[in-house]
Amino acid sequence: MTRLRRVGLALFAPVLAVLVAAVISSAVMAALQVDPVRVFQVMFDFGSTPDEQVTALVVILNRAIPLFLAGLAVAIAFRMGLFNIGVEGQYRLATIVAAAVGAAIVLPGPLHVLVIVLVAMAVGALWAGIVAVLKVTRGVSEVISSIMLNFIALGTASYLLTGPFRGSAPGASIVATKDLPESGWLPGINGVFSALGLVSPPRELYGFLPLAIIAGVAISVLLNRTRFGFDLKASGMSPSAASASGVDARAMVIKTMLLSGAIAGLIGLPDLLGKTHSYTTDFTAGLGFLGIAVALLGRNRPGGIALAALLFAFLDRSLVPLQIASYPASVVTIIQGTIVLAVVIANEIARRIARRQAERSSVLPAAAGPGAGGGGPGTGPTTPADDTDERQGAQA
Amino acid sequence: MMKTAALLLAGSLALAACASSQNNSSASGSSSSGSSAGGNLKIGVAYDTGGRGDKSFNDSAYAGIQAAVKQHGGKFTELSPNADASNRADLLTQLADQGYNPIIAVGFAYSDVLGGVAKQYPNVTFAQVDGAAAALKTQPAPNNFTGLLFAENEGSFLAGVAAALKTTAGHIGFVGGVDTPLIKKFEAGYIAGAKAVNPKIKIDSQYISPAGDFSGFNDPAKGKIVAAGMYDGGADIVYHAAGGSGLGVFKAAAAANKLAIGVDSDQYQTVGDPALQAVILTSMLKRVDNAVQKFIGDFVDKKVTGGKDVINDLKSDGVGLATSGGKIDDIKTQIDQYRAKIISGEIKVPVTP
Amino acid sequence: MATPGALPGSTSGGPEPGGTSTAAVPYAVELRGITKRFPGVVANRDINLRVRRGEVHAIVGENGAGKSTLMKILYGMYRPDEGTILLDGTPVTFRSPADAIEAGIGMVHQHFMLADNFTVLENIVLGSEPTRGGRLDLGEARRRIGEISERYDLGLDPDVLVETLGVGDRQRVEIAKVLYRGARTLILDEPTAVLVPHEVDDLFGNLGELTREGLTVIFISHKLDEVRRVADSITVIRRGTTVGTADPKTTTARQLAEMMVGSELPSPETRESTVRETPVLRLQHVTVTTPEGRAVVDDVGLVAREGEVVGIAGVEGNGQAELVDAIMGLRRLSAGTVVLGDEDITAWSTRARREAGLGFIPEDRHRQGMLLEAPLWENRILGHQTRPPAVKGHFIDRRAARADTERIMREYDVRAPGPDTLAVALSGGNQQKLIVGREMSATPRLLVAAHPTRGVDVGAQTVIWELLKDARAAGMSILLISADLDELIGLSDTLHVMLRGRLVATLDPARLTPEELGGHMTGARTAAGAA
Repeated sequence: MTRLRRVGLALFAPVLAVLVAAVISSAVMAALQVDPVRVFQVMFDFGSTPDEQVTALVVILNRAIPLFLAGLAVAIAFRMGLFNIGVEGQYRLATIVAAAVGAAIVLPGPLHVLVIVLVAMAVGALWAGIVAVLKVTRGVSEVISSIMLNFIALGTASYLLTGPFRGSAPGASIVATKDLPESGWLPGINGVFSALGLVSPPRELYGFLPLAIIAGVAISVLLNRTRFGFDLKASGMSPSAASASGVDARAMVIKTMLLSGAIAGLIGLPDLLGKTHSYTTDFTAGLGFLGIAVALLGRNRPGGIALAALLFAFLDRSLVPLQIASYPASVVTIIQGTIVLAVVIANEIARRIARRQAERSSVLPAAAGPGAGGGGPGTGPTTPADDTDERQGAQA
Repeated sequence: MMKTAALLLAGSLALAACASSQNNSSASGSSSSGSSAGGNLKIGVAYDTGGRGDKSFNDSAYAGIQAAVKQHGGKFTELSPNADASNRADLLTQLADQGYNPIIAVGFAYSDVLGGVAKQYPNVTFAQVDGAAAALKTQPAPNNFTGLLFAENEGSFLAGVAAALKTTAGHIGFVGGVDTPLIKKFEAGYIAGAKAVNPKIKIDSQYISPAGDFSGFNDPAKGKIVAAGMYDGGADIVYHAAGGSGLGVFKAAAAANKLAIGVDSDQYQTVGDPALQAVILTSMLKRVDNAVQKFIGDFVDKKVTGGKDVINDLKSDGVGLATSGGKIDDIKTQIDQYRAKIISGEIKVPVTP
Repeated sequence: MATPGALPGSTSGGPEPGGTSTAAVPYAVELRGITKRFPGVVANRDINLRVRRGEVHAIVGENGAGKSTLMKILYGMYRPDEGTILLDGTPVTFRSPADAIEAGIGMVHQHFMLADNFTVLENIVLGSEPTRGGRLDLGEARRRIGEISERYDLGLDPDVLVETLGVGDRQRVEIAKVLYRGARTLILDEPTAVLVPHEVDDLFGNLGELTREGLTVIFISHKLDEVRRVADSITVIRRGTTVGTADPKTTTARQLAEMMVGSELPSPETRESTVRETPVLRLQHVTVTTPEGRAVVDDVGLVAREGEVVGIAGVEGNGQAELVDAIMGLRRLSAGTVVLGDEDITAWSTRARREAGLGFIPEDRHRQGMLLEAPLWENRILGHQTRPPAVKGHFIDRRAARADTERIMREYDVRAPGPDTLAVALSGGNQQKLIVGREMSATPRLLVAAHPTRGVDVGAQTVIWELLKDARAAGMSILLISADLDELIGLSDTLHVMLRGRLVATLDPARLTPEELGGHMTGARTAAGAA
């Protein structure tokens, strides 16, 4: 089995999903008497001046960073078969507490940022930990409890914002926590553009980007290269086999949810540290739910999630030019929706193809050395094709 | 099995998340007409969440722009923010990049980003409905920015006058959505107006939700409970400044067979239910359309100074009372007298109760 | 008939036992020259098969001989590249199992496909729910199921939950499910693999009812004694093709075996004792209770020494699975102690137990032994996450894991393209050999082997038996739980019988027949012996 083939197979599903989504949404657009070709042209039009183009890039990247983190948080739990629907509440609560703590302390620059990041991760982890504890001790489905905890988290965040953490002047239309002191800001990194010989756009590229990349790589290594990741993956594939192999299922649920929540805690930070510097009534909401779609599209792999986040960010940016070009912004909504559906379909197709290939490839060596067994019972030839009945039956 | 179900659930949640943005997207309309001097006018408008079709500010702003385009010619493009309203800055910068000028942002939520954008495009003129220059993050406010504010207290004063003249019990009420300084402004004007007519009048005041909890603007059930309490207590006219919760106030009025006063738009026209129309005495109008139209007119005439706010008051027809339904036609003269006194400065309407 | 067997009992389609049929009556099922190729391999070559209506026709052959492929062709899962299928003399083409079901062919799979939390009735109608005016009409279904159960003596209660049923009952539900869909020809794939002797008898009784009612049964097996007991005629398949037919009345098991593999059947027997003095595992008063407080393992005590195979016999569902779970730390004890070597491991986690030298061949390899969707090298790591060679500190050593997987594949004869193959692609025997190899590689002090040869072919069975014998000789202690009485008697040094959660008898396997053991398992013997 060549590496190329495996990579190809891994890419197959998302590419298929995007294609299917493009076709379906084109059909819908055509039905609405909107020219799909023109729509896609507008979506890919990043502007005429280098300034505009780089700005478009920054807009997409800035949007992709929180989406990536949200997808990552969801995917960690997904990988072990846990559905952390509560990412939304986890990051909202984490962000407001981190904003309040960050505003209340004064520390030298990097340390200040570090404290804010750690506080956010801790709060997210704790909130997700409630879900885990309920599941482990009381058997409460994490889907239910995390949805419920979302409501509680949003209510709590709103209480904190208007109560103890209120920093805005009375009478301000937007209620906000106190602004972070400048030492708690994460400056933009537009330097990369100059370094790459591009124009430095007027918009700041979030300084959180490298941190998000580090988080992605760390999670990738953790999931794929460590014992913990193996236990997590095994628990996701077969809880019974995992516990028979010595994985403590309860501890695993707790650890996984804590990790997922910790990453969820990061979601609000790119905006908080790079733009708003406070949590406000107007703070970006809904990223936790988008994260589910992003994780699905990225097939729960950090690399895939990064691509999915970029795609979603790209679609989001195209909302504005589409409206300027007098196209309905709902086109983008249609595409996003169809992508999510197409992903589910494409994943299933890819999984079946992968399986069929595996079955086929395992038939081959039996053909290569069939006579070797020669009929002696001790070395009886075993054609693996023979044991496929239960699988076929399961599909039938 | 379980996995598939959960996957579908997750998918539908994600879809729901996506779908919610549908509400915010609106068809972009551009119309060009007229052959007057301003024919090359390119107006950009960025709505608040909700987009056009909200029967409120966004629609009102749209009406003003339409009127302006009719008057001065040119064309306009309208944008709505995405589902989580995270792209407000993009809306403004893209409009600016495309050469739109002036650009009008609707809603105070743009305060966070507008200062920076205005600074980035010094040659573009920006206006913000309900936005104060002092609220911008960039201070001092750039001189290409104009805040379009409203003297809600003056309009509410007239609502108070109407209520005091119409009450038979000598007892009226006020329901505020959320206990914020802005809504206090409504309350202050209303009380002052009522007391001007009848210093001994009894006025109940109540807020649906405390500061910071914005549910009070969108909780008709609670609005109904609060208003019903006032009607039970003897009040026969209740003025609400409670957004969507106002519907509950009207329902309480209908149930008690009493009267109510609407707010922001002419609610007699928008409420869409004859039974509720019957209880709407009048509405305190916040003429976003007039303000926007006037601002564009000033822009065409190069009279925009910028860097500060324009207060749309009674004098500029920025606020007023609706007459639909004809229930205040008989007291029109008295109301107009008070209007004239406010415009002339003879009466100073307070902003805090 | 392609290859007339050279054996005395074999025929070439001539007069058949019970041959009242004449040439005018077409065969219920007839396959002519069926050939099925997969890329690079011919799974079936020139298969010829004739099945009379109303008979039990056995298809025997080693796993890998092509039986399952053949059945999948007959059940519409595969389409043959050459050849024709005739039902009652009429050529048919199946595009899917739905076509086959339509034509009256039903399949009872080796692994049951029932929803545990549904009732028997719901399971049977699942997928072909009767409706009236768009609404579920269970009344009609209940009537028909009652009728089927009555007619074929299946003894089904439509309203019990399947999860409460034993293996034999579940199998009858599967059979009823097929009959409910109107099958006239039933394919049973290794139906006895999961049954204990008396359940096998019950099954054969049911098959008799079916054929008496004119139904046809195609019975796939490699258990020759059973085949000879139940079949009216036998077709033997070897290496993808039919090598002959045989009359069960005149053919011995040995002759059949020779047709199948060309040599004698292997024997699990180990006679020389290698038992040493040092106890490895000591169970004292081990009790496991259900949440409702019922003791499923009741005061069990046993000792397993170095070099000893301790067998646990018993009808399935008498607490063996729970006992295994208790030893592996997968289930909490409500009383008693588990001692490994000198250490009381009662409170230890599964991982700690494994690290301390417990190896585990689980009863259900798909549920507990493998990650089917994962490659073989990851399956090599499973259960050994904390030990070399696959792991370095907290990190997975992919290269070492792959290399060691290749070694296991080589040494334990696991037939697969490579360590990156998904486990799901392997045959049951190869999966099991990988599990055995994996567990042996850690040289455990005690190996808990639950049904180590269940569902694997004769070749793999022999390999696994040899491995267990070698390990025993090397001083490993083995706790063997099995339903295969020959295996138990042949391999064990000490044999305990488990009944209703208790160890009711300790027997000497050297002087024990399967029949005697069967008696102990059902409780008849013990009572007599105690009296």
